Amino acid sequence: MTTANNSPIALAGVRKQYGAKAALDGVDLVIPAGSVVGLLGQNAAGKTTLIKTALGLIRPTNGEATIFGEPSWDLSAATKARIGYVPQVITLYPWMRIRQLIKYTASFYPRWNDGLVTKLLTTWDVGGEDKVGILSVGTLQKLAIVLALGHEPDLLVLDEPAASLDPGARRDFLRTLLEVAADGRRTVLFSTHITSDLERVADRVAILRAGKIAYDGALDDLKDSVKRLHITATAPLPVDLQIPGVVKSQVEGNEALISVRDVSPALIEQIRRNYAATVGVQDLNLEDIFLELHHHA
Amino acid sequence: MQPAIALDVRPNSGVPIYRQLVEQLRAQVAGRRLAAGEFLPSVRTVAEHLQINPMTVSKAYSLLEREGVVEFVRGQGMRVTTQPTNGKVRREAIRPLLEQVAATAKQLSLAPEQVIAQLKPMLEENDDHRK
Repeated sequence: MTTANNSPIALAGVRKQYGAKAALDGVDLVIPAGSVVGLLGQNAAGKTTLIKTALGLIRPTNGEATIFGEPSWDLSAATKARIGYVPQVITLYPWMRIRQLIKYTASFYPRWNDGLVTKLLTTWDVGGEDKVGILSVGTLQKLAIVLALGHEPDLLVLDEPAASLDPGARRDFLRTLLEVAADGRRTVLFSTHITSDLERVADRVAILRAGKIAYDGALDDLKDSVKRLHITATAPLPVDLQIPGVVKSQVEGNEALISVRDVSPALIEQIRRNYAATVGVQDLNLEDIFLELHHHA
Repeated sequence: MQPAIALDVRPNSGVPIYRQLVEQLRAQVAGRRLAAGEFLPSVRTVAEHLQINPMTVSKAYSLLEREGVVEFVRGQGMRVTTQPTNGKVRREAIRPLLEQVAATAKQLSLAPEQVIAQLKPMLEENDDHRK
């Protein structure tokens, strides 16, 4: 990067090589302050590697990662205190009682919101006297989320946070996430492969595909711009139909189903005229779009 | 008093949530379910009720404000404007239908003059039914 970037997270040309395999293959991504970003990707797309690289938990092979303008690999204590992180695999001291673990965690931070922590534990039915070691995966995850929120971080990073929560707890968790994000001061990045979680909460989406960012932008813009066109022409359409911004194309005789990246009245008009065709425009939800973007394998 | 929230969104639709909100509120105002002078529920209330991002609600509200459907009243929120005098809102309401007419006209290779010539008597005929 040539200019200083004080964004909560900024990745520039980040590559992470594991042997012959590139887990991240040149990732450029900026998470703007105050946004709630859903990082969407299939299993093994590199989501966890991206998050860990961004946070400075693993070192990129090439490229640069920064948190609030500081190199991720060399964060100051003050900047670390502004981050809350819930990893995918949670390891907490199994011999501690929940109450003790919270007290212990709180002691690391200059600021700690006891009221919020107590409220969340009550809402989620997590008892303070239970030992951490006997907790179910779901309860352990709730506890980890509470611990990550206690110091009211400016940046909250969650790796597959809802994966092991049952539907009820997931709803509660999403509600909490919205409360956390409601004031627009906090920035949230969470990875998921469940598009419906993302659609309610996130205002931005970053789609990671095979170690590269396939899309990064506002969720509304994505839904407004990626559309499926149903083309019906008066004559057979060319099999290699040339349409700008094509994501996926199926041509059969006079008809074609074409998903495009950037729909516009001009584009539709152009297709109508070029092929003497009628064009129907179909909205796509995030899951449809995600699948369309993964079509070219 | 806060009006009841008669809004419902489908987050997993292909239509962005803010657009769903705009369309529903626009329809409620046009149908007088939200009368002029009434206030929209606060951004926070709607976001909590529907469990969606507050920014999405803000976005919908500011779009409605730009269209003139509501106006921002300092310290009180978004108030529904008096509709009959607002030509812009009514023009916006008919726009999708006109776009359809335009598209079909093009497909039929009709000249703009032909379409307008056909439309004009229809509009004038309706004149008699106005109060």
